[in-house]
Amino acid sequence: MAYFVVNDRCNGCLSCVENCPATALSYKDANGKRTILHNMARCVRCANCWRVCPQEAIEFKHFLENRWDEVIELELIYCSVCGEPVYTSRQERTLSETIGRSLEHLCPKHKASDFAARQALALKTKRINRENLHDRR
Amino acid sequence: MIVADLKPLGEIVETISHFKKISIVACGGCVSICLTGGASSADALARELGHPRHYRSLPPTFETTTIQRQCEKDFVKAFLTIPPDADAILSLACGAGVQTVAEVFNTLPVVPALNTSFLGSLDAPGIWREKCQGCGNCLLAYTGGICPVSRCAKRLLNGPCGGSKNGKCEIGDDTDCAWALIIERLKVLGRLGEYEKLFPLKDWSSDRGKGPRVLGVDKTRT
Repeated sequence: MAYFVVNDRCNGCLSCVENCPATALSYKDANGKRTILHNMARCVRCANCWRVCPQEAIEFKHFLENRWDEVIELELIYCSVCGEPVYTSRQERTLSETIGRSLEHLCPKHKASDFAARQALALKTKRINRENLHDRR
Repeated sequence: MIVADLKPLGEIVETISHFKKISIVACGGCVSICLTGGASSADALARELGHPRHYRSLPPTFETTTIQRQCEKDFVKAFLTIPPDADAILSLACGAGVQTVAEVFNTLPVVPALNTSFLGSLDAPGIWREKCQGCGNCLLAYTGGICPVSRCAKRLLNGPCGGSKNGKCEIGDDTDCAWALIIERLKVLGRLGEYEKLFPLKDWSSDRGKGPRVLGVDKTRT
């Protein structure tokens, strides 16, 4: 879907092309046809084209209410406990390369509870070991 | 929006006539929208400045380029390319843009082609009017959305002066009296009672009273 959209009133007078301060509009005359060209990378959405168009042909709302473009689709990794998305597989690879070990697939919440559980287990093991040592004496 | 106006051609010629190759850099931001600093203005300026009638000897050669915003150092550094044989840059940005380009290309002279005028809004096609002075302490909530700091010639904060007549300011040029506009607006809003409320003395330290202002999370970083 284009951003620069004109309705049937456009008569190709080139007012928009001649008055674009960003040179984002152009045209070509070839094979008996005039084609109006628009370059979104140059466009500053100043709406000057819409203002100067004597035919009121420019549907400027498309610059303001356009759709989202899909940029990239990446595989997701989910939390192994609750199924919440945690990161993408590429992000996991970057992170594990940075920290030099593989990652557990846990969301921040379950990572925290997992950490707490491990801490509790470590403390419990430490206490049992101490008791065993005490009993042996 | 920052509004800027093209400098008189003679002044631009005077500042560039001793260079051989000049890179004209347009800005795709505010000044493009106010029809003075965009790609199209840069092309027109290059055509005009290239005419021999402006010079006693050979005119410089010009090449034009546009960058979306000249006021962001990292952006300019990454995306603005100046031909290696250019011996000066003629910037069509606001003062902030010119200084940013000068900082990035610090071995080249950077010359402004525009006079930065004011912060304004488009009132009618082709007409920009000053609406804000960036005083750093906005009063619009109390003045019906009309700024007495930027739109009253005397920056009065407690009603019009004796130079207000039939809703117009004594400075002429059909300038509206900001306070006449404020009173009308307060009437429409049913808040005319607030007009009687006296403003305390304005603290201008947020204006420029404390020197150049910085906004950011860590103000010490550059």
